[in-house]
Amino acid sequence: MTSSTSRGSLGAAIWRNRWFYIFISPFFILFALFGLYPLLYSLYMSTIDWDGLMPPHDVGFNNFRTLFQDTVFYTSIKNTLLIGIYHMPVMMFLGFTMALLLNQQWLKLRGFWRAAVFVPCITPMVVIAIVFTLLFGGEYGLVNYLIRTLSGGYLKGLPWLDSASFSKITISILLIWRWSGYNMLIMLAGMQGIPQEMYEAATIDGANRWQQLRRLTIPMMRPTFVFCMITSLIGTVYLFEEPFVLTNGGPGTSSTNFGLFLFNNSFRYFRFGYASAAAYSVAVVVLILTLIIYRGGRSATD
Amino acid sequence: MESEANSTIFAYSDVRSIITDGFIGACNAVRKLIPKIIVALCLLAVIGFVSWLPRVGALSLDTNKTQIEIWSWNVAALALKSLTPPFEQQHPKVSIYINMSGADPGARFLLALASGVGAPDVVQLQATEAERYTPTERLTDLTALAGKYEKDFVPAFWQSCVHDGKVYAIPWDIGPCAVFYKRWIFEKYGINPDTIETWDDFIEAGKQIDEKSNHHTRMLPVSITSVSNFFLLLMQQNGGGIFDSEGRIILNSPQNREDLRIVRKMLDAGITSSVADFSADFYATFSTDTIACYPAAVWSMQQIKTYASKESPGNWGVFRLPAFRKGGLRNSNYGGSVLVIPKQSRSSEQAWKFMEFANCTVAGQVRQFRESALYPAYLPALKDPVFDEPDPFFAGQKVNRLFSLDIERVPPLVRTKDWNEATSYLAQTMSDWASDKMDDETYLQSAAEALGRRLSRSVVKPADTGERP
Repeated sequence: MTSSTSRGSLGAAIWRNRWFYIFISPFFILFALFGLYPLLYSLYMSTIDWDGLMPPHDVGFNNFRTLFQDTVFYTSIKNTLLIGIYHMPVMMFLGFTMALLLNQQWLKLRGFWRAAVFVPCITPMVVIAIVFTLLFGGEYGLVNYLIRTLSGGYLKGLPWLDSASFSKITISILLIWRWSGYNMLIMLAGMQGIPQEMYEAATIDGANRWQQLRRLTIPMMRPTFVFCMITSLIGTVYLFEEPFVLTNGGPGTSSTNFGLFLFNNSFRYFRFGYASAAAYSVAVVVLILTLIIYRGGRSATD
Repeated sequence: MESEANSTIFAYSDVRSIITDGFIGACNAVRKLIPKIIVALCLLAVIGFVSWLPRVGALSLDTNKTQIEIWSWNVAALALKSLTPPFEQQHPKVSIYINMSGADPGARFLLALASGVGAPDVVQLQATEAERYTPTERLTDLTALAGKYEKDFVPAFWQSCVHDGKVYAIPWDIGPCAVFYKRWIFEKYGINPDTIETWDDFIEAGKQIDEKSNHHTRMLPVSITSVSNFFLLLMQQNGGGIFDSEGRIILNSPQNREDLRIVRKMLDAGITSSVADFSADFYATFSTDTIACYPAAVWSMQQIKTYASKESPGNWGVFRLPAFRKGGLRNSNYGGSVLVIPKQSRSSEQAWKFMEFANCTVAGQVRQFRESALYPAYLPALKDPVFDEPDPFFAGQKVNRLFSLDIERVPPLVRTKDWNEATSYLAQTMSDWASDKMDDETYLQSAAEALGRRLSRSVVKPADTGERP
């Protein structure tokens, strides 16, 4: 390719390669239609007041102004962060430990265990919700029944779903149960990506199991951890199904997270402009957080 | 080390060339097929278009019949289905199609209205949602056809179907309220339900049961997660409200303060159970002795009959809702639904005929009551002897008659398009009120102001809310 970069020859180059462009075009067409257009349209929607039925009217930055004064919005952000803080470390730890265990050669029925741990994240949420509400019911739930029986009636059981202080914890328990398997799978893949030769070299150098884990496995897994953290972070921010079916955001607003806040404002109250403004505000924060984690992970690896 | 790196690069470019060559080869192969693909796609489009025509009515395969599509769900849809045979017999040129499919019909209906296509001929709406749609001018104006029925419906329900003097919806079923109680518990502790006339009497009876059962049996369920449900029931009974007729917020009214005082009194008396409405625990209590009674709407009857244990028939009873003071109104409303015809409907005339048969005839309403226990909003239907039949489940009590008493005296409630948001705000904040022991008036005033900000509505000061009616 020694030709100049003038416009004509660029056009000619495109024409020459037209079949490539045609064959990669479906993605771009679909993305523009179902990704880019809604994205831009909701940016426009964040500046209007529209309930889907009455004619929309322009409100400029009013949606944002109301948003930053909305206590429910702040509560939902706080709840989202708290749910993240409650469940992410435990989930990561469990995912890693299980991956470590399931990667051992001596373990029998490894395929079975791996599948068993992964089953929760392919189970339909509605089924899980019914089971969990039965487990965590205040008076007739199985968990409280166990607490009462095992303590000989001394403990009364906990208000898992009916108290503002426990609802977030119950959701976190569900999240840990549901998503640890998924993280286990990714971490297992990351673990198996570490060349066996490195362990052999470490053994020859006299490193014991613990040293191998600390000095070899964990550092080599850093990109996997970063990936898991970013997906969990995004998953936490846009978490919806779990609180929706388990507590519906209650009691009060104690388990209303950001996803539920968006859903309520758009599809319960039909305030599409307001919901778009909220979505955009949080998207910016998520983008920044993701960049921080990504950069942090990369510089540590380098 | 170096040779290894080189070999890696070599292998990589190898792989790359294989991929690119393969890709070019595939491209060339597909390129020859392009004309055929285009022809196939065109054919598919034509077939799709032709098969779509009968659905939109542009080309009917059976030219004699008009299809009326109805969106409805749950037992209500079954009630409408039971009307299909007699209606189609009377109108041989109309066929009724009841579409129960799809989740979240509310959002689906909104999308159909907003986009201007896809709405059916008749849609079921919650009564609480009607006022969201009536001002949008996307529903058929039924004033000329339905105006004559105004006197036949309970004013409180008719009002939510009217906007600017025009009728856009027809009330379908309603949710009059009473107290479902467990006879064996009341008998065991010597409580006579006939002596419970006011909420204060009710609380006294609750205290007696609580004491005699050694704090085992609670009078009623009022969980902090669903306390606002009970508040709304009391609000409608007492003539309180959230909005006045001009859409201003009147939450901090004497009536609403009285409602809260009753709820607070119950919570303080320790006669409430913390089981949340409609949870698995809630249905389980139908068969236990932990809760004595349930102030609820008539549609709860089906749930009780379904979930109560097999020994229950004859062990249950119903008494009228306690009044705020002696001689006061002993009924309220919770729930109910309406039917509407979207403007998009191409056969609104036939759709109206079906709706008229379903909602505005004794035969239609009684049939639906028998089928799905939909309690009619149409007053002439309530005179039918079917409502005087004794119910063995309630030890032969004529419970269905009991619910209709004084129904026309239930005060109207202005809901506006923001009802859902306002009531969920109350549900969210009222649990704080219940658990934090916040002062009633402080709570109502702060909630009113917060709602005013959120909904851009003005708040009426407590002094302006007027006297009790």
